[in-house]
Amino acid sequence: MVDWSPLWLSLRVAVSATILATVFGVGLAYVLAKGHFRGRGVIEAIVTVPIVLPPTVLGYYLLVTIGANTPLGRAWESMTGTPLVFTPVAAGVAATISALPFIVRSSRAAIEGVNARFEEALRVAGHPEWRVALVGTLPLARRGVLAGIALGFARALGDFGVTVMIAGNIPGRTQTLPVAVYDAVQAGDTASARTGSLILAGIAFTVLLVITALSSQGSR
Amino acid sequence: MKIAGRCSSVLAVLAVFAASCGVAGQRDASDAQTIVVAAAADLRPAFEEIGRQFESEWNSEVTFSFGSSGLLAQQVIRGAPFDVFVAANEQYVDDVIAAGVGDSDSKERYAIGRLALWRGGDDDVPASVADLVMSRFARIAMANPTHAPYGMAARQALEAAGVYEAVKSRLVYGENVSDAQRIVQTGNADVGIIALSLALAAGGNFVVVPTALHEPLVQTLMVIATGAKGRVARDFVDFVKGPRGREILARNGFESPPQTVTQ
Repeated sequence: MVDWSPLWLSLRVAVSATILATVFGVGLAYVLAKGHFRGRGVIEAIVTVPIVLPPTVLGYYLLVTIGANTPLGRAWESMTGTPLVFTPVAAGVAATISALPFIVRSSRAAIEGVNARFEEALRVAGHPEWRVALVGTLPLARRGVLAGIALGFARALGDFGVTVMIAGNIPGRTQTLPVAVYDAVQAGDTASARTGSLILAGIAFTVLLVITALSSQGSR
Repeated sequence: MKIAGRCSSVLAVLAVFAASCGVAGQRDASDAQTIVVAAAADLRPAFEEIGRQFESEWNSEVTFSFGSSGLLAQQVIRGAPFDVFVAANEQYVDDVIAAGVGDSDSKERYAIGRLALWRGGDDDVPASVADLVMSRFARIAMANPTHAPYGMAARQALEAAGVYEAVKSRLVYGENVSDAQRIVQTGNADVGIIALSLALAAGGNFVVVPTALHEPLVQTLMVIATGAKGRVARDFVDFVKGPRGREILARNGFESPPQTVTQ
């Protein structure tokens, strides 16, 4: 009998993380694309660093930042009554940080690529800047934004290194599907390893197809 | 690096805030009847069976998180929600107690683990640790000796047999002892120095390593939880030490500790 709980946990974690990373990431991408202030490069580098940093290093930094004996960890515990690390929420933190750079980078490029004349026309028509962004810039940049979200979702679903460091490997609680695959291989349970791997590979492949479809629409 | 640390803290606060809305539905493992046991990798076959029997007898649920003892000890110290910690040696339990975590009075040496030479299937295993020098054992798998108790014992056995220097370049390390077994199982090593418990569970030929060659692998456990969960955790520990637990452990290649330590 296949245990589906890692898949449901993974989907819950990845969907929550993608929503959060989208809200935060698209907003940040807009600021980075339109803003003219010093330190933009630094902010971009900070947001992008999870792509290039080894997951174990990122996991270690998170453990010493939000662990049970840190100020942030204690603050969380006093608010919620439970420690943050080694809970499903910690898996959500790991997934959000993994997804964010892909959403920011892809959205920023798309927003910068929007033809300024459309935005100018809206401004001339008397629309305030936030309306220009919502009805002009973002709809025109949607393909790049959606591609970033798709990639971010795949990355959130697939995270192993950071998750295993800050959320651990507790079946039914923090054992996401990638961690369950690792655990099944360790246990010599090849049937579960095969099923889990097939599901993850299928989702990853589907996401890439979606992204390809989005970008080929863009270049028609 | 410092910037990276600060950045992740800022992101973490935001992430945590919203992630809590989405994934905080922690219905599982939160009721008092469910305990989480962090257990060393060599215990998987034995403890899965112990867990099933305990569950059917007591109206409680047991979830296991298996890994290397050193890694699990670090997680316990950093606040992982484990209710019982079962290590493959004594040192890591002492480390947890020294960090002020868990119930130090509950520490118990409950079994002795044994090492075995194993390669799976019907192939010839080396008759002794010294025979590992034979060239047909081109790759020898064992657990990482820096943090896995069975890796430390395997290294001691190689040194005691006087072959460590000769085979050093042929050793491949698994992250823990079941990882070492996996390396052999997938054909990436010709022989493994692994836990007898794992060799028995997997089947195939094996040779038990004499205890004189290494420090005893004193399997030690302790209770972490307090309150209602602490009571279930203590029931579980009593079950492990009781006649049924002993029988399962013996069948899985563990020996009884030399003397029962009571405090």
